[in-house]
Amino acid sequence: MNHKCVKVVSLLVAVSLIFAGFAAVGFAEEHNKLKAGFIYVGPVGDYGYSKGHDVGREYVEEIFPWLETFYVENVAPSDVESTIDQFVNNRDADVIFTTSFGHMNPTISAAKKYQNTIFFHCSGYKRAKNVGTYFSGLYQTYYLSGLMAGALTKTDKLGYVGAFPTPEVKRHINAFAIGIHEANPDATLHVRWLNAWVDPSGAKEATQALLEEGVDGFAFTEDTPTVLQTAQENDAFSFSHYNPMYRFAEDAAVSGQISNWGVIYADILYKVYYGVYTNENLEGVDYWWLLKEGAAELGAKRGMPINPKYVDELKSKTVEDPILGKISVYDLIMKRMEQMKADRVTFDPFVGPMKDRQGIQRLKDGEWATHDELWQIQWAYPNVKGPWPDEPKE
Amino acid sequence: MIEEWVVGTLSRTLAYGTPLLLATLGEIYSERSGVLNLGVEGMMILGAVSAFATAFITGNPWLGMLVAGIAGALASLIHGFVSITLRANQVVSGLALTMLGLGLSGLFGKGFEGKPLNSTITNVTVPVLKDIPYLGEILFVDQSPIVYIAIILTPVLSFILFHTSLGITIRSVGENPSAADSAGINVWLVRYFCVVTGGILAGFAGGYLSIAYRPAWTQGMTSGMGWLVIALTIFASWNPSRGLVGAFLFGALMHLSFRLQPWVAPELLKMMPYGSAILALVIISLGSLKKSMGAPNALQQPYIRGEK
Repeated sequence: MNHKCVKVVSLLVAVSLIFAGFAAVGFAEEHNKLKAGFIYVGPVGDYGYSKGHDVGREYVEEIFPWLETFYVENVAPSDVESTIDQFVNNRDADVIFTTSFGHMNPTISAAKKYQNTIFFHCSGYKRAKNVGTYFSGLYQTYYLSGLMAGALTKTDKLGYVGAFPTPEVKRHINAFAIGIHEANPDATLHVRWLNAWVDPSGAKEATQALLEEGVDGFAFTEDTPTVLQTAQENDAFSFSHYNPMYRFAEDAAVSGQISNWGVIYADILYKVYYGVYTNENLEGVDYWWLLKEGAAELGAKRGMPINPKYVDELKSKTVEDPILGKISVYDLIMKRMEQMKADRVTFDPFVGPMKDRQGIQRLKDGEWATHDELWQIQWAYPNVKGPWPDEPKE
Repeated sequence: MIEEWVVGTLSRTLAYGTPLLLATLGEIYSERSGVLNLGVEGMMILGAVSAFATAFITGNPWLGMLVAGIAGALASLIHGFVSITLRANQVVSGLALTMLGLGLSGLFGKGFEGKPLNSTITNVTVPVLKDIPYLGEILFVDQSPIVYIAIILTPVLSFILFHTSLGITIRSVGENPSAADSAGINVWLVRYFCVVTGGILAGFAGGYLSIAYRPAWTQGMTSGMGWLVIALTIFASWNPSRGLVGAFLFGALMHLSFRLQPWVAPELLKMMPYGSAILALVIISLGSLKKSMGAPNALQQPYIRGEK
């Protein structure tokens, strides 16, 4: 064997070693990245529920350099399992988030099939050793919005454009109604249902219909800013929902609720990455995060709890509180927010004595509604007017 | 009280019925020439997204409407090419166009989601006319100019269809293309013309939704209006004036489904437009009634020269 040959061979060996080294490093890097897949029920473009989750996904992708995320939108419950198959087999997902109530059963059955994968399901109640659950609650912010609405209405008539009459939407309406009642016992809340999560034309007509009835302030559950925009066009006020919608209606948007899924996703993924959560210990992991944890934020715009245009009026209106005495609505809102954000929460809108609109006692004196009661709520608060499907008779 | 109620409802009826009317007028023309276009929903939503994008970028909402018409026309050309030139099944091609439109609009619209539009087509109140009792309040107070355009278009398009030689040409192509062909009429050209007319009007309807009715872009924002249009076309028995009645009737039902909610089950009210649509479809499907309903004889039939 001549020298030249040895040189060439050793050069080749060296080069291949370098390549192998790069490959190994690349592999290690690839391997160290945690891969999280998100399954959305709606289009990200709805500017509503699925958009909210996607904002959360973008947030964790940005703050965790070791994280890689991907998502699929518009996934009906029947397509969840095949999407999970794809995520696990083709994209090596370590963690999979399914974000709609209807995704619950397919998630549980896929979790049995892929025991090494970690699943988190949003808004459901079934868990397994590799399936945790999570949800963010907005009812506290709805209550705070209700305080404002009660103080600001000139006609004593407020409106709510609801998507579907689900317990979640009913909980929001009731919380809003409780706030309204506290600030203005004469005011009523008129509800109209769309029977759709996304229906801008319907939302527009429902708002117009309520305006014709004399309503001058709105809250809503629909995945677009339509109600808010319609309020703006008609010199009424409204509360933004789910995503910051201030820029759609800078006069009409008083406040609202902003959902922050990002903080929940960050907590989950951090704990998965550092081995706190594994595919063996999720049976008891259930997030129900509220104002305190930052999963919900008050405002129509991040960092602006109340539109400055309405602050003076809220400061000038006073209410008589049994404990706090005579207090301006503005101060009451700030006080309630403080109480609900404290380490030890000292206030909740759903505290007895509380009757529903049919006069049935729902909470005894001093009794706090439990997680399950809030989760399954069907009754309507007394100042709520209008149709109420599945209203319990006892 | 009652007066206020009726006036309010009728005023809203016009606002909601307008996109239905625009697209229905277009579909009537398309079907009158023998081409069923089930792609209305797709053309509408492409109109909506392109109108919004144009108005957003240029700051000119009327330019947005123009572009919406062009987008609708281009989309309809796809249907025209497949169903007229290639003589494929009109139902399949139209359905594909709807799906294509919904998908494409979602893709193009990604950058415009959640963006407020500063330059919209604002509502107008017409001086003097607004003082006409009742009618003034319904028609001339806080109403979109596009409502007027749609209402004026109706008799114009009706006149063209029934009282001009162009109208006779269109109808003869829809009734008996081979006879029209032997009379020297260019069947393909007429059909393309009508399909594109339908596309332009569907595009306008979409543009109205995204820059006038509800100035914002949301994926899937036409939420089934295009299907109502298909039903309305039959409901109107291919007559523009009856299309106006139908569109505003559907508009009224839509508005009333919210007005009457405290007293009548909303599901029932919301079902009514669709229920009447199904009824209309049943009627049209009964072959013997087809004639008396005034359905174009050659509807859905691709024209092949030399065949009977």
